[in-house]
Amino acid sequence: MPFEAPADGVLLPPYRVLDLAGPEGVFCGKLLADYGADVIKVEPPAGDPTRQRPPFIGDQPGPERSAYFLFYNTNKRSVTLDLESSQGQGLFKKLAASADVLIESFPVGYMKSLGLDFDTLKTGNPGLVMCSVTPFGQTGPWKDFQSTDLISLAASGFMQITGDPDGPPLRQGNEQSHFPGAQHAAAAIMGALFYRDMQGGPGQYIDVSMQEAMITYYTDAHPALAWMQRGENVTRVGTNSTLVIPLGAYPSKDGWISAGIITPREWENLSQWMYEVTGNEDILNDAYKGGNQDRAPYNDIITALVIDFTTRFTSEELFHQGQERNLVFIPVNTVPDLLSDPQLEASNFWFDLDHADAGTLKYPLGVFDSEEVSPGTKPAPHLGQDNDAIFGGELGLSETELASLHAQGTI
Amino acid sequence: MANPKKALEGVRILELGPYVALPMTGRILASMGAEVIKVETNKVLDEMNFIPAWSRGGGQPEFQRAKKRITIDVRTPDGLEVFKELVKVSDVFMTNFRRNILDRWGIDFPELRRLRPDIILMWQTGLGGIGPYYTYKSYGILVQHMGGVSLMSGEEGEPPATINTSYSDYHTGVFQPVAVIGALMRLRLTGRPATMESSIFKSGALTAGPAILDYQSTGRTPQRMGNRDPFAAPHGVYRCQGDDRWCAIAVQTDEHWAAFCRAIGSPEWCSEDSFSSLESRLADQERLDGLVGEWTAGQTAEDVMTRLQEAGVPASLVSQGKDLYESAHLKAREFYRPTRFYLADRAKPAWEWQGEEGIA
Repeated sequence: MPFEAPADGVLLPPYRVLDLAGPEGVFCGKLLADYGADVIKVEPPAGDPTRQRPPFIGDQPGPERSAYFLFYNTNKRSVTLDLESSQGQGLFKKLAASADVLIESFPVGYMKSLGLDFDTLKTGNPGLVMCSVTPFGQTGPWKDFQSTDLISLAASGFMQITGDPDGPPLRQGNEQSHFPGAQHAAAAIMGALFYRDMQGGPGQYIDVSMQEAMITYYTDAHPALAWMQRGENVTRVGTNSTLVIPLGAYPSKDGWISAGIITPREWENLSQWMYEVTGNEDILNDAYKGGNQDRAPYNDIITALVIDFTTRFTSEELFHQGQERNLVFIPVNTVPDLLSDPQLEASNFWFDLDHADAGTLKYPLGVFDSEEVSPGTKPAPHLGQDNDAIFGGELGLSETELASLHAQGTI
Repeated sequence: MANPKKALEGVRILELGPYVALPMTGRILASMGAEVIKVETNKVLDEMNFIPAWSRGGGQPEFQRAKKRITIDVRTPDGLEVFKELVKVSDVFMTNFRRNILDRWGIDFPELRRLRPDIILMWQTGLGGIGPYYTYKSYGILVQHMGGVSLMSGEEGEPPATINTSYSDYHTGVFQPVAVIGALMRLRLTGRPATMESSIFKSGALTAGPAILDYQSTGRTPQRMGNRDPFAAPHGVYRCQGDDRWCAIAVQTDEHWAAFCRAIGSPEWCSEDSFSSLESRLADQERLDGLVGEWTAGQTAEDVMTRLQEAGVPASLVSQGKDLYESAHLKAREFYRPTRFYLADRAKPAWEWQGEEGIA
């Protein structure tokens, strides 16, 4: 693959990335695709299984209408290929010979059983960077363990610290276990490409364990270090802190608002405001003054007073009026709140993507703003839409060969 | 024929800013071989050194690893001059201070670019560097609630569940290396540098995911459903022997269900009609969870996990710090490596700080 510079306004060179990843790694390919890599989703001829995942746009099922598939595959291309047939494997090797990167998340050993493991593929392409994203990694006694989002959240300890101290460990919403591994994979792939193309190094194999990636997502609490040094297990603190008073989420007139009083000055400001609004003199009690932990003995009383105050305002009112008093109130946003948020609107976060079946919808693309570079704006691909361009145009298969592969169910 | 170089060898990165996301970015880039210089002052040290609940400084070994660490007070004219000299010889400058604070200190992005025309600037913010909230004060542990995921977490009808860390900080921290390495590559290939501004708010909001499209199309908003799942039952955590010990179990397919029943000794209730399909198990979950809980209650979480995994059923104990530290799996993978770190002491110059052995 000749090495090209990125186009004007694009961050990444048009690296050829073959994306075989399921939900465990699909976000990695999306990040690279959104920032300019040529990511080709290689799907089974019947389509990636997530094309069947509800909810569907307009509640009408169909392989081009899954919200999940549409969200996680922006700016990618699509080819179909049966990797379990020998013809499909032969064609995949040709594709891999022209690729810079291969991402996969199959059970450990599956790629090898197909004859498509890194050692085989690199003989045809020594510069290949291959990255596997799996629940527990490629080695170690747990490598073959079955996992799901819930199991990964449990194994990494995420659940141990989510929820109420008196209740069970809780799952964090929206399959959060699928982000840390995929994001670490993207960073590692970028490092490997820089090594190859800027330092003259060879290609390499990258083994990402979702469990390990997730553990790095709470190194501020570093549960293993807390155990090693102090014999303490970091645990759940609930919606409202018992150490910093008040800190947490409280009901407002129209939803939830989060608040945190960290400094004595902030408490002065808040208690004065609460008194002005509620007329309740108890809040000015000298015993409550001081640093955030000085109020711990009065947690229940203060929390009740805070709720009496927050429920008199909308979340928006507290957010903005709080800033005028140097207080941090942060709305606990719903999805519709995000879509109407003026800050996101001003910061180039939403893009209207027009998809032939799903119509025009607003998608969030990219996590940074830049005057020099911006994300691509292509919607998710239709199943196999790039078969002709890639198998025919680039690999040079004739129309007859393509028709025959299609008839056999290989593509 | 080992290549002597590391991936980012020869790249110098200046890191100015405390807490989690930015130091995490620096840590990843440093472990890839970049020379990352963390700039602090002896008067204003990264608060992460002092978080009382973690008296050793939460995650300090992790955040310090492989970096150089210097103290310059950029608020003094001499300090600012030294800082500017460093900018002239750096490839990347990363900071997470708000613009009004950088202005007060005399750190101005266009001027940095004049000092070093090809410098890559990575500016990380809480709520955003432009737009209506750019001067707003914020705390990361609260900003994570803006992203939409908090209201998808927790029991149905209960307050949103919060996580005892600020996960959206990490989304930002782990994504930024992609942006920085991409910009370095682009600079070498096109000669054009980039200024990039990220925010914790946006990183969190991006992970609200498909629900954003679903809302626009159907008007639905995601509901909290505790540990339950629309595509699996039993699905949840079940209490085991010991203090706060739990095992998570996720039975998704018919094969999982058959294997689960065999693994627990095929009790009579397993063959009831009301548990024969996913639909029927979902409809009778309350009772099903009770029965599964009776089976787990007498065993250790490790035993439940092992027995189910041997049968091919997705299961895991809910790991505590002790489990993670002692994990044979993580040890076999050399996940933790010893690393030296320094305990900050405001009363002493940095070169007199005490070094300690930690893990990262």
